[in-house]
Amino acid sequence: MRVTEGMRYAGVLNNLARVSSQHHKAAQEASTGIRVGKPSDDPIAAAELARLRASNSQTSTHLATIDAVRGDAELTESALAEASEIMVRLRELALQGSNGGLTADERSALAAEATGLKEALLQLSNTRGTRGYLFSGSQVTTPAFDSNGVFQGDDVAHLVPIGNSTPTAVSTSGRESFVVTGGRNVFADVDSLVTALSTNDEAGIRASIDTIEAAGQQLVNARASSGLVLSKLNASESVLGSLETEQQRRASAVGAADPFESYSRVTALGQSLERAIAVSRQILDLGGNSRF
Amino acid sequence: MGTGSLTQLMYTARDALSAQSYGLGVTGQNISNVNTPGYVRREALLETRALGTATTGSVNVAGLRRATDIYIERRELTARGSAAAAMEHDNHLASVEALFNDLGNTGMGSALDGLFSSFSALAANPNDPTSRAAVLNAADGFASRANALGDALATLRDDLLQQAQATVQQINERANSIAELNRRIQAAEAQGEDAADLKDQRNNLLLDLSQLVDVRTIAGDNGSIIVQASGTTLVEGVDSRPFVIDLNADGSLKLLSSRSGTGGTEVTQFLTGGKLAGIKEARDVDVFDVQSKLDQLVFDVANAVNAQHFAGFGSDGVSGRNLFDVSATVDGAARAIRLSADVAGNPAAIAAAMDAASAPGGSGNASALANVWNTPLSGGRTAAQSYGDLVGSIGMRKSAVAQAVETQAAIKEQLQAMREAVSGVSLDEEMVALTKYQRAYQAAGRVLSTVDELLQDLLNRVGR
Repeated sequence: MRVTEGMRYAGVLNNLARVSSQHHKAAQEASTGIRVGKPSDDPIAAAELARLRASNSQTSTHLATIDAVRGDAELTESALAEASEIMVRLRELALQGSNGGLTADERSALAAEATGLKEALLQLSNTRGTRGYLFSGSQVTTPAFDSNGVFQGDDVAHLVPIGNSTPTAVSTSGRESFVVTGGRNVFADVDSLVTALSTNDEAGIRASIDTIEAAGQQLVNARASSGLVLSKLNASESVLGSLETEQQRRASAVGAADPFESYSRVTALGQSLERAIAVSRQILDLGGNSRF
Repeated sequence: MGTGSLTQLMYTARDALSAQSYGLGVTGQNISNVNTPGYVRREALLETRALGTATTGSVNVAGLRRATDIYIERRELTARGSAAAAMEHDNHLASVEALFNDLGNTGMGSALDGLFSSFSALAANPNDPTSRAAVLNAADGFASRANALGDALATLRDDLLQQAQATVQQINERANSIAELNRRIQAAEAQGEDAADLKDQRNNLLLDLSQLVDVRTIAGDNGSIIVQASGTTLVEGVDSRPFVIDLNADGSLKLLSSRSGTGGTEVTQFLTGGKLAGIKEARDVDVFDVQSKLDQLVFDVANAVNAQHFAGFGSDGVSGRNLFDVSATVDGAARAIRLSADVAGNPAAIAAAMDAASAPGGSGNASALANVWNTPLSGGRTAAQSYGDLVGSIGMRKSAVAQAVETQAAIKEQLQAMREAVSGVSLDEEMVALTKYQRAYQAAGRVLSTVDELLQDLLNRVGR
């Protein structure tokens, strides 16, 4: 084959361009640590990265949602715990009041304490969280109970998406907790006790011991339900946290460059480039030598 | 040997000086054009001069020969066309890829995520005006991103139409020039003149033309050539038939070959190479496909979100409002989508609740809106999956074309090397030729001076 000047120069140019381009890409990959910088670098990996990014974003959103509702759920649980404690104290008052040796004045003093405890119960039932009144259902701008203990909210649960299945209810019903039909009306039961204590009605006080206990149990049950919500949130957070870590690990495995491999490649291509430059110099020197 | 023979020898030496001088001239021409693009090296054609039936030993310059291989040249034209088509195609796909490169923070992945994340945040706190405003912002962000991508793709198609028109104009100009060179070559050869330089010019034009459209050449009469492009005759003798770009009803490019006074014949389906083929492929296959997929995705997401939003209730207790205004058909959905006027600027209109009674703090519909993220749309894929598919298909296409660019470039380089091996100038060869002609010239001069001395000697003897 005849070798012409044009072939010499074109060959030098093409070889240097090819090796230089490969070296540039390898150096970029090694310095950034990113193997898939654009879809065409690895189309299958790019499509997987797009889906992983969406999944990861969804997981992060779920975690943020859990963070956002956890405060209210904890507040609900705490309010019901305090309400349960109050009911324990009210039962103690009922037991004290049922003692046959107590005078009317002493029962009246117990009634005053019970009245104060009812006020505290009302305040707890109207606890406000970040989204409004916690026991009002969807009527978050209206207090759950009026001053007479009449329920003003509804039974609509606060639903949030924290998984790929159906939304999770993260609220506790005010009606179910305090005034459920077929169960106990906590405020009415406390009112009965207060009335019995105030009127020195020993039989009525004795009757209140059981009703107050039942009402207290109802609040304990409600607290357990809200505790389950918190457990569910914590469990979901744990699972989602692991999932988020796995998604990030997977994204890194798919899109990131292996540091040792990429460094080896850039070193090898650097040597190829040096050889190509040396050979090119020789070829060009041949062309530049004076002839004959 | 008589004086007649000596005189004849003188003429022989004269012819030799002339022929070697011609050879030196041709060598000089080759050396001076060693770097001239498209230059085809020449060879001086020398032959013995016959004088009747006698052997004179004299030399005659028969002309010169352009060192070409027509088959390699034809293959090179085809290879250049294929390489140019792949390169052009690759360039435009790079533009499309850049639009959808979520890895470089472009694309619409984050806008999609933002939209559905805002529904989740709203579900967490439905009565919070900030959460409602965030939904409006995210929805507007999604619509704006879809608009920007849709507009960018439409602009790219418009640009490609203009580029196709400009390319066709360049093709027609080169076709005219080749026809004119055909005329001048025919005239030169008819008069027995050397047309090598004109053929070099024509060759350069053909190389240039092959970058624009697929080219095939056929030898014509008296040194002219017939040029075929896109399956039809572009130049025949001194006539050229211009190409025209038009649009089909569906907006795709149509290439017509026209004769003056006629509407033209469609030859689009035969277009296989050159920049024009790359433009056509990028515009009418790839950009069109991406536009269609983007429109489908936006249309599906908007309608799925609208259906759920329509069913829910705003904090004002009103239902039946869409979140997006979107086109009635898939076509053009990405460019047409807007935040619905029913909700724009009105956070209370965001339908977080499932019913009017639970309007203030109900989150059932917000949760359902967030769950659209996981709902299969048309084609049985979720929005995130469909978007991943779109990104993957763009990458796949770009990667395949980038591979084709490398392959075609390698083929082109190989054929260029083959042509260069036949037609290129080798300074080594030219230096040898230079020495060869120089020595022959010096020897011929020596013959002449020897004959001159002999004749002088003879004259001196006769005159004594």
